[in-house]
Amino acid sequence: MFYLELLLVGLVWGCTYAMMALGLTLVYGLLRILHVAQATVFTLGAYVGLLVANHTGSLAGAFVAAALAAGLLGPLVYRFIYRPILDKPPFVALVASIGLLIAMEDGFRLLFGPYGLSFAKNTWFTTAVGFGGLSLNLVQVWIAVAAVVLLSLFALFATRTRAGVAWRATVSDPSIAESFGVGVSGVRHTSFFIASVLAGVAGVLVGLLNNLVEPGMGSVISYKGLAIIVLGGLGNVPGTLLASLLLGVVESFGTVYLGKLLDRDAIAFLFLILVLMIRPQGLLGKAR
Amino acid sequence: MSIKSSSRLIFTALVAAAFAAPAAAQNIRIGFHAPLTGFAAADGKSAVQGAELAVEQINAAGGVNGRRLELVIQDDQARPDQALPLANKFIGDGLRVVVSGSYSGPTRAAAGVFHQAKVPYVSAYAIHPDITRAGNYVFRTSFMGEVQGRAAAKLIGDNLKKKKVTLVTLNNDFGQALSAGFKEVAGRFGIQIAAEHTYAMGDRQFGSIVASVKKDDPEALYVSGYFFNGGPLVAQLRAGGVTVPIIGTEGFDTHNFIAIAKDAAEGVMITTSLDRDSSAAPMRRFIADFETKFKVPADMVAASTHTALYVVAEGLRRGGVDDGARIRAAISGLKDFEVATGRISFNELGEVYKAAQIQVIRGGKFRHFATIDDPVLLAPPTK
Repeated sequence: MFYLELLLVGLVWGCTYAMMALGLTLVYGLLRILHVAQATVFTLGAYVGLLVANHTGSLAGAFVAAALAAGLLGPLVYRFIYRPILDKPPFVALVASIGLLIAMEDGFRLLFGPYGLSFAKNTWFTTAVGFGGLSLNLVQVWIAVAAVVLLSLFALFATRTRAGVAWRATVSDPSIAESFGVGVSGVRHTSFFIASVLAGVAGVLVGLLNNLVEPGMGSVISYKGLAIIVLGGLGNVPGTLLASLLLGVVESFGTVYLGKLLDRDAIAFLFLILVLMIRPQGLLGKAR
Repeated sequence: MSIKSSSRLIFTALVAAAFAAPAAAQNIRIGFHAPLTGFAAADGKSAVQGAELAVEQINAAGGVNGRRLELVIQDDQARPDQALPLANKFIGDGLRVVVSGSYSGPTRAAAGVFHQAKVPYVSAYAIHPDITRAGNYVFRTSFMGEVQGRAAAKLIGDNLKKKKVTLVTLNNDFGQALSAGFKEVAGRFGIQIAAEHTYAMGDRQFGSIVASVKKDDPEALYVSGYFFNGGPLVAQLRAGGVTVPIIGTEGFDTHNFIAIAKDAAEGVMITTSLDRDSSAAPMRRFIADFETKFKVPADMVAASTHTALYVVAEGLRRGGVDDGARIRAAISGLKDFEVATGRISFNELGEVYKAAQIQVIRGGKFRHFATIDDPVLLAPPTK
């Protein structure tokens, strides 16, 4: 029973990683940029969601507002930060991205104060859902539901819609896609929009799960997101999802059995190193 | 003369006046460092507020020997590598006395530098034992971690009569010191330690710890950490169905802890040096003035830096402002000096004995629960 509970805790953590890492994979697949500043979008989503929830009392409103704010910020980051330096080597964009993350962390601190904010009424958090002797709170349940629904919607978009086909064509070869009349710029903006909406929703959910929204909440999850996309096999979507869930479970068990030696983040990166020693191309990546 | 050139002239005159003004030199400058940015910025803000209030009160009462105090504030980001350049800058600028409003990392790193330079250095709330061991120019006006852990063991085993305890420990020097003190004397109070779970500074998600605590099924929990870990941790424990008493530390001693944990904070007890229901005059005045000035409730960090500033000011009053050795001697000679967090007398190591205040959260506020006044159990080390 205890192990089952740890497994569930880990899968829920994995779902939050999946929502973050999918966006990172999209951006990497498209532009070869390690979009660390995705964490800024995540944190913005969390703050907007919290402020709307505390002012209107509506969680639904909070999610919509967070998704919109995040969905707006992401494409703006592309347009004003990444696009002007696309012809530079990838590390230039990475440095810009890290710079934005650090600057925005202090920006959030100046805007919302250093203390962190919590939800005035977090009923999901205090509602326990029991089944078969296990208990989870409603936030954990919703994280799993949101991850499954949003990621399924994404899969449908990518495989069943024209825009999805155009997107996949652009990932494989931007210049050929363009010569077939695909608007590469539109595809890129859409990708940042999708990635950012996922991150914004994840931000609110993690804020609810922690019952705390604070300026630095994005930094750990962003670096871990990078580890996950490497683990999954760079740019490989199913690999990313598998790596997210696996990492969540490894951390959940690891914090209990290795907690005295290594903290949660160290366990995550140790796992990354071990996997890469055996499979340098990542879990589902193709060997080159 | 055009407006532009006349304004330039005025500007030049002002700049010249600013550098030449003897008024600024009259102030006694006190170095102060705290984490103004970075993960500990919240405590840094309280630290600066406590220090500013102390300086304001002392200046309003006529300053020190007729001269006003002036804080020179630096940001250490709670990082040891920031502390050394900062300490050297304070020394280079000729400051005669410095207060740490920061955590153990930077304070420990800077302590040796100040001792070497014969600049008295007072740590307001950093808990690492090595800080005062840096030398006799270094003082601490708060509890050491181990001492506070011992107080918690007595509270749980003796006052609350809970004998099976799970520890949830932050894996830095603060958490380790508290846990070590607790374990050192747990047996003396008949406490059996069911398990100890550790977590890291950045953790905000404690699902696996909550599951483990439920498996341990303890009678009480001893939880270390800061409010930004403790708030989510306590809330997640309560939401996960853990109902046993939770005993925390002075790291939770801020209204921000209650603001984060909300209803889950009710009934949580902490060991601290700040008794909000105290009838002692300096404490009452500190709490009232703090809330008037900053419009937020006072916390342990602010009370501690306030205390340290009063200690330093008294040292300057008795020892003069020019000679580090005389200031040091004056501080070390303080006996039963009454400040916001109690009566201060330093031992030969530069540590103070204080009774531990046990506060409990009721109705969204910290209230007095008990005082553990045991000079043997809570004796600070002397070497």
